[in-house]
Amino acid sequence: MSYVGTSQRPHDWAARTDGSTLFAADLRLPALHAAVLRSPHPYADIVALDTSRAERMPGVVAVITAADFAPDAVYVHRGAPLSDRPPLARGTVRHVGQEVAAVAAETYVQAVAALAAIRVRYRPRKAPLTLAEATAPGARRLHERTTDEPNVSVLFATEWGDAATGRAHARTAVEGRFAYPSVSHACMETNTTLARWNQADGTVELWTSTQAPWFIGKEVSQLLGLEHDQVIFREVATGGGFGSKSKASEHEVLAAALARKANRPVLLSLTREEEMGANKPRHRFETWLRTSVDDDGLVRLYESDIRVDNGSYNHMGPSVMRVGAITLGSMYRPDGAVIEARLIDTATQPGGQFRGYGTPQVSLAAESQLDELADRLGLDPLEMRLRNVNREYATTLCGYDVTTARLADCLDAVRTELDWDRRRADPRPDRGVGVAAGSHGSGAYAYDLANRSDAAIDVFDDGRVRVRYGGSDAGTGQSTILAQIAADELGVDLADVEVLSMDSEQTPFELGAWSSRGTHMTGSSVGKAASEVAERLRDLARAKLGTQDVVLRDGQAVGADDAVALGDLVRLSDDAVDGVLSHETIYLLEGTEPLAPGKSTANLSPTYAYAAHGAYVEVDRRTGAVQLLDYVAAHDVGRAINPTAVEGQIAGGAVMGIGAALGEELVREGGRIINTSYLHYAMPRSADVPSVRPVIVNAHDPAGPYGAKSVGEMSIIPPGAALANAVQDAVGVRIRELPLTPDKVISALAEKEGRRRRHRIWRRPGRWWIALMRALYPLGLHHVLHHWGTRFGRGVGTGVADPESVTSLSAPDDLGTVLHEVAAGAQVIGGGSDAMVERRREAAPATVLISTRSVLALRGVRRAEDGALRIGAAVTLAELAEATRETVPVLAEAVDSIASAQIRNVATVAGNLVQEKRCWFFRNGFSCYKRNGVTSPCYAVLGDHRFQHAVIDGHRCQAVTPSDLATVLTALDARVELAAEDGRRTLTIEEFFVGPGETALRPGEVVVEIVVPAAAVRRRSAFRKLNLYTGDFATASAVISGDVDESGTWTEARLVLGAVAPVPWRAVEAEEWLCGRIAPTAAQLRKVLDRELDREAHPLPGNGWKLDAVAGLAEHVLEAVTGVRPGEGR
Amino acid sequence: MHRLKINGEQVEVDVRGAESLAAVLRERVGLIGTKIACERGECGACTVLVEGRATMSCIQPAALVTGDVETIEGLAEEILDLRAEFADRGAFQCGFCTPGQLVRATALLRDAAPRAGLDPEEVRHQMSGNICRCTGYQAIVAAVVDVAERRAGVDR
Ligand code: FES
Ligand code: FES
Repeated sequence: MSYVGTSQRPHDWAARTDGSTLFAADLRLPALHAAVLRSPHPYADIVALDTSRAERMPGVVAVITAADFAPDAVYVHRGAPLSDRPPLARGTVRHVGQEVAAVAAETYVQAVAALAAIRVRYRPRKAPLTLAEATAPGARRLHERTTDEPNVSVLFATEWGDAATGRAHARTAVEGRFAYPSVSHACMETNTTLARWNQADGTVELWTSTQAPWFIGKEVSQLLGLEHDQVIFREVATGGGFGSKSKASEHEVLAAALARKANRPVLLSLTREEEMGANKPRHRFETWLRTSVDDDGLVRLYESDIRVDNGSYNHMGPSVMRVGAITLGSMYRPDGAVIEARLIDTATQPGGQFRGYGTPQVSLAAESQLDELADRLGLDPLEMRLRNVNREYATTLCGYDVTTARLADCLDAVRTELDWDRRRADPRPDRGVGVAAGSHGSGAYAYDLANRSDAAIDVFDDGRVRVRYGGSDAGTGQSTILAQIAADELGVDLADVEVLSMDSEQTPFELGAWSSRGTHMTGSSVGKAASEVAERLRDLARAKLGTQDVVLRDGQAVGADDAVALGDLVRLSDDAVDGVLSHETIYLLEGTEPLAPGKSTANLSPTYAYAAHGAYVEVDRRTGAVQLLDYVAAHDVGRAINPTAVEGQIAGGAVMGIGAALGEELVREGGRIINTSYLHYAMPRSADVPSVRPVIVNAHDPAGPYGAKSVGEMSIIPPGAALANAVQDAVGVRIRELPLTPDKVISALAEKEGRRRRHRIWRRPGRWWIALMRALYPLGLHHVLHHWGTRFGRGVGTGVADPESVTSLSAPDDLGTVLHEVAAGAQVIGGGSDAMVERRREAAPATVLISTRSVLALRGVRRAEDGALRIGAAVTLAELAEATRETVPVLAEAVDSIASAQIRNVATVAGNLVQEKRCWFFRNGFSCYKRNGVTSPCYAVLGDHRFQHAVIDGHRCQAVTPSDLATVLTALDARVELAAEDGRRTLTIEEFFVGPGETALRPGEVVVEIVVPAAAVRRRSAFRKLNLYTGDFATASAVISGDVDESGTWTEARLVLGAVAPVPWRAVEAEEWLCGRIAPTAAQLRKVLDRELDREAHPLPGNGWKLDAVAGLAEHVLEAVTGVRPGEGR
Repeated sequence: MHRLKINGEQVEVDVRGAESLAAVLRERVGLIGTKIACERGECGACTVLVEGRATMSCIQPAALVTGDVETIEGLAEEILDLRAEFADRGAFQCGFCTPGQLVRATALLRDAAPRAGLDPEEVRHQMSGNICRCTGYQAIVAAVVDVAERRAGVDR
């Protein structure tokens, strides 16, 4: 049986699927819990730091600050002089979230409470937060650097090849600036370390989520003043890495230092907010590029000006920038490439290592421009690329010695699989195809010893085999393919091979899984170790069987007419110890060169992988939404050792790249990340992507182990440009900044079509006050409110769940008890899905909670005798959808679009209506006007308000009511029945909502029922919403509900727009226009509605596009109720 | 003392205030198969079944749970076919989201049992509350669809 080249289950599949695999936070060591004090300022001097009060807090065992490390302790990372980051801030903080101190306490809540008792006095400095600010004349410098330019940490300028020849042959050129934003790895397992200090021998044991224990050991040991081998790693599962866990983050050394100081085990597990708000994300690149081609479409010259946002410390920035630039010298065959690249310090959290490592960013520019040039030359984009592909066994401009290169086959696969020619010619409007290609090495010679990998094999006397390697499999399938290799070399059953990774006492030297080196390096070393053991076993068998002709198979050494079991051979071996024959070996990679300072070309990698991705999209011109319909990812991976694992790497990486292309970006305000939760981070959910179709172009590469090349990083490189090119093909707009969110698409379309809105605020005295406030914000008002105003007010909760903050939590089954408790001050919760999370941000959340879920009287959905629909307040969203799917489908449709199935199972109708406002500043801990009080600013005025904020009626707060149900119920003329101990009252739903997520509920009052009148139940209604991912809140929504008589005349109409104003907004004028109309068309409605919106709206500078989107949704819903298919009535 | 029925067994736990079901399962009962990735009800890693319905246990106050709770540990046997299909198709890589995916899928498969299989689109929609950062989802969807079909006895 040969396993290499066949799909095999992950070797530990049973444990990974029954919940028994242990991740670091699952270990049951009795450990202290750690929390980290982080800088609230982007740039400030620390004037005073006093931990004495925190040390005396209950449960606190250890507190550490910079003083607990050597005075010059810094992370090594790329080495001096680039090393610049201390483990805890020393005198200065340079980004929001930088670690200042850390606490270990008996419980996590105690540790967090102690953080609040640490006194830090900061003297804030003016902080350059963006590339433009950092490079502006006179910009404040964050560090003393070796370049002359302010805040330029590293300048990489070189010329590869012969630019003059390239220039001489160039006939056509395009140029432009492209931006690829900073995105989060968003691993499902947050970074976690469990550390145990061993007083006796001065060692520290770490169970940590990492891709590369060796690098963590290097950093932790030197920061703690230990020898490398005094930091001992133990095997533990790692929940995704994607690069982020391939070098030290900050938690490992903090956990170790706390464990040493406390002399007790310490668990440090980042919260999701910390993971997304303070960890090292992908570097933002702004790439200016000019591509020149000749008349045949051959690229002759690249000229570039690449700006990389380093963040506040160096980390991997220098090499990320270098690898990014190498894209231009490695991908195709230009005569020359002029590279100018700057790594620029900004007071934001530093970038780290992210799958693709600079290549996706520069590829976006290069691959977009190839399409622009193809268009100029009248060439098919696939053909354009086919003309430019690298030849096999050639040397590229940047010094790569390419071996096999099957990009042409990948491009052909895209043509066939995506049905490229037919779809490209397809006249269907607003659909388009796009392609992009890429290449990536198989491990870069970026460090000392990066060309070396050691591995060990044990053969036991019962015939079992064990592979030992010092790397870590964070989900790539590396351990499984190593087992496959060992099984083949030794001729044993795969089930008899186990794998031990990470453990630094039991495994030999290995640098770990980064730079797509796992398969090549450990595949080679394990293969070598296994084949060497196999030879020893064959020797033993030759002696035993008396024949030269011996093969290993089926767990035996088989001779001409006799066989002996491997286990018996182990017993025969003089080298076996305690029934185990062990063998360790060193694999040294030949022919590659290290990345050296002062040298701009190098053959970094033994083999180079290639890929071409094709995307088929549909763009909704009305809303700007880009829908991905089909996606093909063709990869030249050499020979796939485990095809299923390879396909998994392709699909997973492609979807991650698609996420960055369509929605993901870390958004900042004042240097602080706003979207630190999955709720606000638009990464793809299952329903947001089609099946990515991987195509493996199988072609044995002689330089790779068993013919294999890399795949892990390759798959994330092409999606950005592939999607941008497809959008261009679909609707003719070229978007150069990712992600391709609806705001950008619709704004580009509006510009192209010359559409503009005029709101004539000067004619609307009612808006003057707000217009004045908004005008004053950038002139200093924001600054004053932010710096001074926020000091007063209610305060903001820590965001941490504290179980003890609730003293009573009950679920009575009768309404009387609920009303009684509420009258006494209890807070009502429905399912708790919003309330239990939101209370963490309240300064003084309610201590007595009462759930309505058990009150039977509130749990029914029924049709009253008059035909009205009566919905109990405690009915879950799932129950509501089920009850209305046939009778009032618009309600079911809206509910289906809310959050997730799990949330719909518990969230109640009333809870949905009264949930907190939709605003990422408010929800994520900013001391904003609504959260903290009147002296605080609304951060949305100057901050990122593209998606979530009001375009109509915005006041001092720009938030909106998030409930989709509220929007629909407004269109259905619903009434809200309220009860208190002293009686009941009924409000129309329009009376019920008084502000963003704010209602007319009085103290002591509870929602008991929602009533949809019979007339509205009978109407024809439709709902549509635009959001950034499945289950997200609406960015905009529209509901139409109307009566049409036999003659086809509209006799009644409601048109309600959601998420555009503080409360659901009725387009009254459009409603009036609809009444009496026969077969109104979308275009007619649009005209009327646009007029109304122009007159009523008062958007912020960045969210006017939502008016177009919501008007587009209105067109959709009209067509939905009149049965016109989209586009027909245009 | 709060009584909980977890995987068929009665357990008595001294639940503190608003302590979440996930915390109780992991820290008091030792059922660490239920993972926490966001603790905000936004990712699905902590999915368990409460009275048969998929629920985010990280935001579910344990004190309000009265019905049966089923976790990955209790379901593993019932869904051996699904687990094997996950393994064969590459429906997990790091495996951190996997218990949540499997538990969510279990509820879907039980609901689908009387019908002939599940439609991929429906699976994608119904499982959109379970984030997976590794796989790109399609292997998960395919595995669930296949198992539903096989369980319904539909010829393939
Ligand atoms: S951990 Fe519960 S939903 Fe994310
Ligand atoms: S398998 Fe890693 S997050 Fe799903």
